Amino acid sequence: MYKDKLDRILLKVQKPSRYIGGELNSVEKDRDKVTMRFAFCFPDTYDIGMSHLGMKILYSLINEVPEYWCERVFMPLPDMEEQMRKNDILLYGLESLEPIKDFDFIGFTLQYELSFSNILAMLDLAGLSVYAKDRPDLTPIVCAGGPCVCNAEPIADFVDLCILGEGEEVNLELMRLLEKCKAEGTTKREFLIRAAQIEGIYVPSLYDVQYNDDNTIKSVTPLENAPAKVKKRIIKDFDKVYYPETFVVPFSEIVHDRAVVEVLRGCIRGCRFCQAGYLYRPFREKAVGTIEKQTISLCETTGYDEVSLTSLSTSDHSEIEKMLAVLTDYSDGAGVNLSLPSLRVDKFSKELVDRIKSVRKSGLTFAPEAGTQRLRDVINKNITEENVMNGCRLAFEGGYTAVKLYFMLGLPTETMEDIEGIAELCQKIIDLYYSMPDRPKGKGIKISVSLSTFIPKPFTPFQFEPQPTEDVIRERQKHLMEVINVKKVTVSRSHFDVTHLEAALARGDRRLSKVIYAAWKKGCKLDGWSEYYQYDKWMEAFRECGIDPAFYVNRVRPYDEVLPWDHMDILVSKDFYIRENKKAHEGRTTPNCREKCAGCGVNKCVGRPCF
Amino acid sequence: METKNIRVFFSKTGRAIYISHLDLYRLFQRAIKRAKLPIWETEGFNPHVYITFALPLALGTAGVCESLDTKLTEDISADELVRRFNDALPRDIRVISASEPVRKPTEIALSVYEADFECDDAKFDEFLAAEHIPAEKKTKRGIAELDLKEHLAILERRPGFMRFTFPSGSQFNINAGLLFDAFERISGTEIFSLHITRTAIKCSDGEIFR
Repeated sequence: MYKDKLDRILLKVQKPSRYIGGELNSVEKDRDKVTMRFAFCFPDTYDIGMSHLGMKILYSLINEVPEYWCERVFMPLPDMEEQMRKNDILLYGLESLEPIKDFDFIGFTLQYELSFSNILAMLDLAGLSVYAKDRPDLTPIVCAGGPCVCNAEPIADFVDLCILGEGEEVNLELMRLLEKCKAEGTTKREFLIRAAQIEGIYVPSLYDVQYNDDNTIKSVTPLENAPAKVKKRIIKDFDKVYYPETFVVPFSEIVHDRAVVEVLRGCIRGCRFCQAGYLYRPFREKAVGTIEKQTISLCETTGYDEVSLTSLSTSDHSEIEKMLAVLTDYSDGAGVNLSLPSLRVDKFSKELVDRIKSVRKSGLTFAPEAGTQRLRDVINKNITEENVMNGCRLAFEGGYTAVKLYFMLGLPTETMEDIEGIAELCQKIIDLYYSMPDRPKGKGIKISVSLSTFIPKPFTPFQFEPQPTEDVIRERQKHLMEVINVKKVTVSRSHFDVTHLEAALARGDRRLSKVIYAAWKKGCKLDGWSEYYQYDKWMEAFRECGIDPAFYVNRVRPYDEVLPWDHMDILVSKDFYIRENKKAHEGRTTPNCREKCAGCGVNKCVGRPCF
Repeated sequence: METKNIRVFFSKTGRAIYISHLDLYRLFQRAIKRAKLPIWETEGFNPHVYITFALPLALGTAGVCESLDTKLTEDISADELVRRFNDALPRDIRVISASEPVRKPTEIALSVYEADFECDDAKFDEFLAAEHIPAEKKTKRGIAELDLKEHLAILERRPGFMRFTFPSGSQFNINAGLLFDAFERISGTEIFSLHITRTAIKCSDGEIFR
């Protein structure tokens, strides 16, 4: 264990408490009494990774098994990495302070594409080869889960297997299999062949990919009896799904430093750009009593004074009013703040404003996503201008003077008119504010527009769409700045350099593994951090590998093209995406799932209607 | 509201030595909430439990006589207070005792430290014997030069070990780690391992701070 070595270096790095573990509720076990050791790696820094709910769930879940031990591992910042390398400290688990190369599993959770290079950086820092083929031993098995593994092809060369879908059941099945294979003394390949038989497990090396002359994929052929389509795992009874009674409480402040309760999974909305809206189907919610019990347990065992309800769209819970009444009763009495992100503007009511007013003083955030009704219909946002204005009115009446609006630029069929629509909508909100006699006295209105760039993602109706080219994106960003009321509105834009790479990686195939390797060799890592991101190096890597990012980013993909992720089955049919894509181009909306089933196919896979 | 002042003594060792002063404050606030201790809350716009630390401990230094002052709103026994705190604290922070404050934090004058270390001991003795031990101390106004030799009192010294005192308190305070940084800089040799523990806090009259 590295305790003594760490004592020599930790005073030389920023915020050392994040590299030493020992936090309240962290789990330390006797290494001689455990049979399986799992290194849960979040490929970003402690401050970000410790905010991630999935890790908290799976960490506690594995540690509930007495003979299994799960530890947390994060990406060190460069100052720490330098000290580790200088002092021969390999990447270690925060609980045991022992090197993870001796663990049985090294599992990465992939939340965003820009963390891919960190996988390589962390494997290397762990003293392991980054390519799966160069790690012949049975253990450690390097695996990956999380939303990005719905298209794991770009990292196919580095990981041994992927876990598709929700991990609460399959992770333990996988650990039991490895335990058995270890006892039998099987080869790594034998383990992988058997693992591929578990529903939800994807072993990239068991699929042979052939390409056409135009670089598109010709075929993907499973080997060794691996399934032709890997089915995502879902938890059928979500109300009863495992949820931790407590969280590890970090010493230092992290990004989301509070208790978090997941109230529902999935989304009924079907926004056509939103990957999460399809990946997490079917829609399932927890009973109010379950949510209450979990809220109380977490607050009491962590001592946090803030609890946040989380989901893709909390206001879509069928008993939202009752839930808020029950929870505010508790939170008021216990001196805990209740925060409610992810509320839809069309579900906004005076009662809701009053409830959140006590917590959030700064301002409210709405996400119209597009500036005109036409484009909002294309993306199936199902929010009207009236909804937005009504939400703003309620906010102003509630005493708010600042609103934040999310928009996306570069959406399919977008024209300059839609860009101008953003400016017009902002102006209407400003006019509304000054037309209100009961507006907060003596205060001006402040609108913040956050303008991200559309990134077409796999498993969305827009998976066939191109991202506009750099020139178009820059021109439209510039135009918005020319037409918007710059006195009252501040605009923040996403950087082209970042969205461009994200777009390439999101819909890439396994030929991108060599680009990621080349970029990492050039020093790319921590790509999610503007101070470490090196776009030029990434583009150099693409060039040297003879791969043009435009092939992945700016090309319309025909409906009949074999997409790199077509052998993944997230229980929503490709026909549905094609149908939705056609409707988008016709400007026709699809009602939400609760109103009318859109026939995405998930109900057939689950064997019951969603509602 | 009738409140009772109480001084809580605790240790901060092992992995907890890397917790910064600000984070330690938040850690105790949460522990009080978890333990549901009857601690007085400040009044005002943003009420929070009232705790104040007698003497901050430098990052990386362990302590076995650290203390915080707070106010109880209900009378509970010291034993129960200690037990409930410890149930709610991370392993490497332990509450040792609780009692009514005797001395004021402003009376604190010096800290006793014990250091275990591995280095060239002959060089270290040579370093200690020098007439001056120049060092730099970060202050709010910038960097100040000072002579550690003037302030250092060695109580016990044997190879790999030293017990010593440095001034402490709200007016003037020296981080024990400065001495070892100075050694590495002046001697040009490395300290291979170093563990410093504050073992006592004393008032200007030489009495233990209680």
